[in-house]
Amino acid sequence: MDKKLVIIGSGPAGMVCAINALKSGVAKEDILIIEREEELGGTLNLCIHTGFGKGNRTGTELATDLANQIKNYGIEYLVGTTVISFNKDKEITIVSPDIGYEKVKAEAIVLATGCRERSRGGLSIGGTRPSGVISAGTAQRFINIEGYLPGKKTIIVGTTNLALVIARRLSLEGGKVLCVCDARSKLQVDKKEIEECLEFFNIPLKLRTVVTKLFGKERLEAVELADLDKQGKIIRSTKRILKCDSLVYSCGFIPENEIASLAGVEIRKATHGPVVSKKLETSIEGVFSCGNSRFIHKDVISVMTDGKRVGKSVAEYLKKHKSQGGDGE
Amino acid sequence: MKDKIYDVAIIGAGIVGSMCAFHLSKYKLNIAVLEAGIDVASGTTRANSAIIHAGYDANEGSLKAKLNVKGSLMVEPIAKQLGVHYKRCGSLVIGFNEQDLDHLNRLLVRGKKNGVLGLEIIDEKRLHQMEPNVSKEAKYALYAPTAGIVCPYDLAYATCENACTNGADFFFEYKVDKIEKVGLSFSLYAKEKCVRAKYVINCAGLYADEIAGLISEKLPFEIIPRRGEYMLLDKCEKDTVSHTIFVTPSEKGKGILVSPTVDGNIIVGPNANIVESKADTGVTAEGLQEISQSAVTMVPNINLESVITTFAGVRSTPTSGDFYIKPSTKHPKFIHSAGIESPGLASSPAIALYILKLLEKAGLKLKERSDYITTRTKNGNCKLFCDMTEEERKRAIEKNPANAKIVCRCEMVTEGDIINAIHRPISAHTVDMVKRRTRAGMGRCQGGYCRARVAEIIARELNISVDEVKKFSSNSHILCGRTK
Repeated sequence: MDKKLVIIGSGPAGMVCAINALKSGVAKEDILIIEREEELGGTLNLCIHTGFGKGNRTGTELATDLANQIKNYGIEYLVGTTVISFNKDKEITIVSPDIGYEKVKAEAIVLATGCRERSRGGLSIGGTRPSGVISAGTAQRFINIEGYLPGKKTIIVGTTNLALVIARRLSLEGGKVLCVCDARSKLQVDKKEIEECLEFFNIPLKLRTVVTKLFGKERLEAVELADLDKQGKIIRSTKRILKCDSLVYSCGFIPENEIASLAGVEIRKATHGPVVSKKLETSIEGVFSCGNSRFIHKDVISVMTDGKRVGKSVAEYLKKHKSQGGDGE
Repeated sequence: MKDKIYDVAIIGAGIVGSMCAFHLSKYKLNIAVLEAGIDVASGTTRANSAIIHAGYDANEGSLKAKLNVKGSLMVEPIAKQLGVHYKRCGSLVIGFNEQDLDHLNRLLVRGKKNGVLGLEIIDEKRLHQMEPNVSKEAKYALYAPTAGIVCPYDLAYATCENACTNGADFFFEYKVDKIEKVGLSFSLYAKEKCVRAKYVINCAGLYADEIAGLISEKLPFEIIPRRGEYMLLDKCEKDTVSHTIFVTPSEKGKGILVSPTVDGNIIVGPNANIVESKADTGVTAEGLQEISQSAVTMVPNINLESVITTFAGVRSTPTSGDFYIKPSTKHPKFIHSAGIESPGLASSPAIALYILKLLEKAGLKLKERSDYITTRTKNGNCKLFCDMTEEERKRAIEKNPANAKIVCRCEMVTEGDIINAIHRPISAHTVDMVKRRTRAGMGRCQGGYCRARVAEIIARELNISVDEVKKFSSNSHILCGRTK
């Protein structure tokens, strides 16, 4: 299969990129979006809460809207299909239960692979390793997709937007959130979100507080909490034990660039995203990066803006590529 | 079942028990493996440095030295036979001053006497050529080219799966709590259940002393549980070091190492702290601090912000300082293998052969079988999608489209890999069992993305509901019922 433009990932960045590449002159039949999930939308499909883009829609509403645009424009896409690698010649290897093992040759690639959650490795919590300790993303999938409660008495570590949303969701679905704690003394989220997600549900917010130890051999039984002083050191006298059956952590996100690094795209250590030019082109010619796989954006609007920007610049690249008689001509 | 008398019962499916099962299953014997945990490699074998030590550490003339050198050379062919990742990466013990150099020279002499091949002391120039990230303050190193790395639990799974394929019976959550000698055989009880066998191997690791106690025998030393804490770094740090790096040892042990793993991560650890409980595999903030500091001394620019997980293992340190592998003083057909601390992993294949010799001496007949299957399953070894060549991947997908469904994106684990693990000779029926067999959830997001999906696949394949799926043991359920 040959395609001028292959976009890897169909989250908000990838879909907006496709739409804008089309608007910037790339023919619809020259674009292919590859999505590993069964539906277009990426992480948006997990987000049943509001706050997405204009009109304060839910994540799923936004995903549906963007997916409908893609379909109406007639842009080609593959779902349930994973890119396992690509190379400097922009030959992409894909796998899918329907197609099997295939190669796609592209003139330009846009990496819109999004991000993943950081593990709790960096938290260095002591104690045992029981079940009942999960990431906010896992909790979100269990609750919103599967309809199961990951815990009935939960402590949440971290105050990312996702952590707050999960605190609210757990309360709504019949769980009790004992507290949300964060090592920092200042939050990076809006006051309004604290109000809507925590205060309305009487969930205490404990800043400058860390979980220092887990208890429970099989299932989590309790955690030890401690306060930090202004230097960030644990104040021993504040150590206390709280009984609970689950801990949900949200340690932030890391851009996902596994296949990009495999291909030899230069990755910036500080952001875990590719080094890019002003045109958002990576160290490999004709390979672009956008959205949360480039760096972690503050909200979905800025992710979409990034997708828009890359859509335009990849269209320019393809035009130039053609006029220079690039390969495929 | 009740009337069946096994030829050999192996108590404990750690690496020693696994190797015994593997070697014994080549012969015409009925073998039972009795494991207290839910899975193979539930104890010390699960969490250790994963190093195949070359053999210069153990005192010359000790059983440890003999079995280490012999065993370390046996690991590679077994790994090859069963499709286990193994790499002869070599090790470097680095020294910072003249005093360290003296110590390295002593290790060199000892290693040569022990029969370790290729040992040499190298200067700083060569050291920094080999390992550019090692501290510039390091002036010397003892280079052991035969040292290697392996995945310890996969080596245990592989050997057990091969034994199982060749007919060995496995009993899990079978904690032997009473032993009786009835006639010519031993009755090994766990609660109300009973397994009978003519010969018994006690390789219960940390609990070998307690098993000995069940036949009213006191081992001539004590087993001290010593916990070692570890940190595992993201694969993006894989270029940190390419050999296993140790500091010159002190009286506290071989000390903390920084090493690549066969899966492409960097492992840092362990410290060595005596703990009260043999099951205390918790990590501590202080312990992690301790190993971090040591790592930075060896490799100053190691990126400890890339830690993806921390864990601890408990090793069974004998107060006698050497392995204890002997028939019981009461029953010649009951063999103890105890005090197997480091380098137990490297020594394990040789320990098993040593035990076989003792069994033969006690009267066990070892007749080779003609129908021995050399691989993990009847259909060969269980190659994971991520380890396949392009052609193999194509064929795997053609055969089963589930192989084209990537479930764990960090480690490229397919639904096909997971289904295979669930239906392999020793079924992986919990999230952690699947994780250790396929690496689903072992990458940089530590299951953040795939854990829910793995649980769904287990539930579907075993025809149970998702909230019945466990993390590892029977009370480690993952979910707490339905949402509102």
